[in-house]
Amino acid sequence: MSKTDTTAPGLGFDLLSFLARYGTILSLIALIVFFSFMRPEVFATTRNMLNVLNQVSILGIIAIGLTVCLVIGQFDLSIGALATFGGYMAARFLMEIGPANGTPMVVAGVVLLVLGMAVIIGIINGALVSYLGISAIVETLAMSFIVTGAILGISRSRTISPVEIPDAFKIIGQGSIAGIPNPVLILIATAIILWLFLEHTQPGRNMYAIGGNKEASRLSGIPVKRYALVAMGICAACAALGGMVAAANLGAGRPQGVGDVYLLNAFVAVFIGASTLRPGKFHVLGTAVGVLMIGVINNGLSVMGVPSFWQFIVQGVLLILALISASMMTLRR
Amino acid sequence: MTTATAPEQAAATDLDVPLLEVRQMVKDFPGTRALDHVDLTVRAGEIHALLGENGAGKSTIIKCICGAQSTTAGAVLIDGKPVSINSPQEAQAAGIAVVHQHGNLIASLSVAENLCLGEPLPRVGGVLVNWRALHRRARETLAAVDLKLDPGRLCGELRPDEQAMVTIARAVARKARLIILDEPTAALLPREVETLFAQMRLLAARGVAFLYVSHRLTEVFEIADRVTVLRDGRNAGSFDRATMDRRTVVSAIVGAETALRERHVAPVSEGPALLSVTDLRAPRVEGVSFDLRPGEVLGVAGLPGSGAEEVMNLLFGRSRAKAGKITLDGKPLRLRNPADAIRAGIALVPQDRLAEAVLHGYSVRENITLPSLSRFLRDPLMRFVHGGRERQAARDVVARMKVRTPGTETPIDALSGGNQQKAVLGRWLTTGARVFLLNSPTAAVDVGAKAEIYELIAELAASGAAVLFTSTEVEEFPVICGRVLVFAQGRIAGTLTGEQVTEANIMTIAAGESLEQD
Repeated sequence: MSKTDTTAPGLGFDLLSFLARYGTILSLIALIVFFSFMRPEVFATTRNMLNVLNQVSILGIIAIGLTVCLVIGQFDLSIGALATFGGYMAARFLMEIGPANGTPMVVAGVVLLVLGMAVIIGIINGALVSYLGISAIVETLAMSFIVTGAILGISRSRTISPVEIPDAFKIIGQGSIAGIPNPVLILIATAIILWLFLEHTQPGRNMYAIGGNKEASRLSGIPVKRYALVAMGICAACAALGGMVAAANLGAGRPQGVGDVYLLNAFVAVFIGASTLRPGKFHVLGTAVGVLMIGVINNGLSVMGVPSFWQFIVQGVLLILALISASMMTLRR
Repeated sequence: MTTATAPEQAAATDLDVPLLEVRQMVKDFPGTRALDHVDLTVRAGEIHALLGENGAGKSTIIKCICGAQSTTAGAVLIDGKPVSINSPQEAQAAGIAVVHQHGNLIASLSVAENLCLGEPLPRVGGVLVNWRALHRRARETLAAVDLKLDPGRLCGELRPDEQAMVTIARAVARKARLIILDEPTAALLPREVETLFAQMRLLAARGVAFLYVSHRLTEVFEIADRVTVLRDGRNAGSFDRATMDRRTVVSAIVGAETALRERHVAPVSEGPALLSVTDLRAPRVEGVSFDLRPGEVLGVAGLPGSGAEEVMNLLFGRSRAKAGKITLDGKPLRLRNPADAIRAGIALVPQDRLAEAVLHGYSVRENITLPSLSRFLRDPLMRFVHGGRERQAARDVVARMKVRTPGTETPIDALSGGNQQKAVLGRWLTTGARVFLLNSPTAAVDVGAKAEIYELIAELAASGAAVLFTSTEVEEFPVICGRVLVFAQGRIAGTLTGEQVTEANIMTIAAGESLEQD
């Protein structure tokens, strides 16, 4: 910091804005270089790289959905519960149908059904938040209690075991195409679809407008309240999708504790992303960088044999650095 | 607590020495001189009105007196002794309190807590708040200004006049001898204004001085003992009860008429109305009817709360009318929200550009195409935006509105206020709007850009659009309006056309008076 203070104002200016834009990407590259240098034989292999991607794919799917929600300026704390919901409900429906009847078509139908249910929950979130003006943080927290409780009740706290789930479902989390794990493919597809949606369609652009200035958007004819339903619906669907990939990967339908891991990490990833390339704005590409950063740190540190508590500390420090770099841009304005 | 002694002391001081004297005050801001050797004298026990148009320097002088802003030159004297006030604490120590229009009290705290805000509270055993003592103290404070209020009530539940009076009570309790009231009646109903005035008279009789800033001339003539008028940062006249008559004061406020300025008035057009309003009713709008013709710039003028601004909001679907008929091209309009208005071809430039119009952190292009993205879609289903056509539309607007910007991808925040405003106005060219509702389109814009915006408005009208214009700056109406509807208490109190459109005429009608025949 002191270095930028002592340089000429013009130069410090540019450096600051450069760091705010590219700081996170540079640190991601620095981390990869560092770990590759430390453990070239383990870290810097194609197999481990795919492993990193596979490890972050579920987090990535959930975080990209959360990005949509934060773009319009709303929080969603129910994504953890919704991920558990998605994983458990898909496994449960398939169990009820019977693993022998679990053809790919049936599995696809169940996945769509669960996604639809999640969208409905998300729309309820959006409606309560926008039409009744309830704080999104509290409302989605309450919704996460309801969903968690409902799943515990439906499951009677019993995990659905691998033998009760058809292979056609497990392939979603365990298979691969052309050497690339399916979860990674699902992540990439989700990212591309939502990137196109946010950046290049009218509804996506309107969502950015709402996040930028609600009143100006309303006065420009954008139905501001309705968009909260869309955003929270998309966010809920992504959370449930992430949960289903997790269940397929695990080969089991756990009624609790699946999504909780992802909730806070998703926020970390999205906020790191908001300090990337376009400081202060949430966007899919930034979120992808944030997700990769978390994956690289966790994988790299464990590959180096560093105790896992360091992963938390390093993540925390990086998040604070990212927030500082984003706020430097806003301070300057 | 010695609440009663402070005013008594004030009354006891020598009456020849004014309580407050501002001598030759100068305040420079980068590029402009906000105060140019201004004198102001306020005596103990006097209710002194400070008048002037927006930008005349009223707020600046208040801020300079109470230490919120530093002065460039000049002196402030209290009881004849020069003082230097640089913070709210020092102002309080000097006996000066400012009552703002809003935000004086914390709504979620009780009257008693607000009265003691920032002071050490009575304690039990040095730790816990002694609520009983606190309330007793509050009752004493309120009784000292003859205010009957339950100190336990939350300030957010009080009427606006009660809030103002609690603020005054707090000032008196802190031994304020000069209370500066900044537009205290703007949010008050007539009955509430009366209770506030009664309290002010009571305190003035005890020696408290008031410096009273208001736009409402009728109230000023009712309450003020003396009047000081500022214009363009200079003294424009000082009057006492004997010399204070409405015409002199109004002409001091407005100065030389704007007839000499360059006018951009579009000719008053004849022919069928584009937009027709019949008996429009809503809270603060009581049966308003008028026609707006293509090619016309029609002004709607009036004091805050007179209904002029509200008519604009109603015509844009920002608020809903209770009754009345709005037709566009003879077809009835149903305006439930801004989207309805935009579809019908109506555009609004809101008063607060930064809060209501600009998308901060986004490019000029994104700000321009905000309401019209649906015109640049590649397909109706997925709604992908055609980037090339969008950019072209943004470039067209930038060229036509003469927005000075390095490019359409420049962040809008990098532009000057005037150029931001031109972009915000220009966004409605892309929606094909024919009726433009402009609320203070030149607010916080420099002089050069103002003239350009006037020209653009005239061009819009010349191209067949109909413009409804309002502004917080009365001097703008004669510059661009061929016809002005002057509102008072929710009704059209008078219609001025052509040469009749003068600041003085507008202000006279807006204050609820009728025009004298010369």
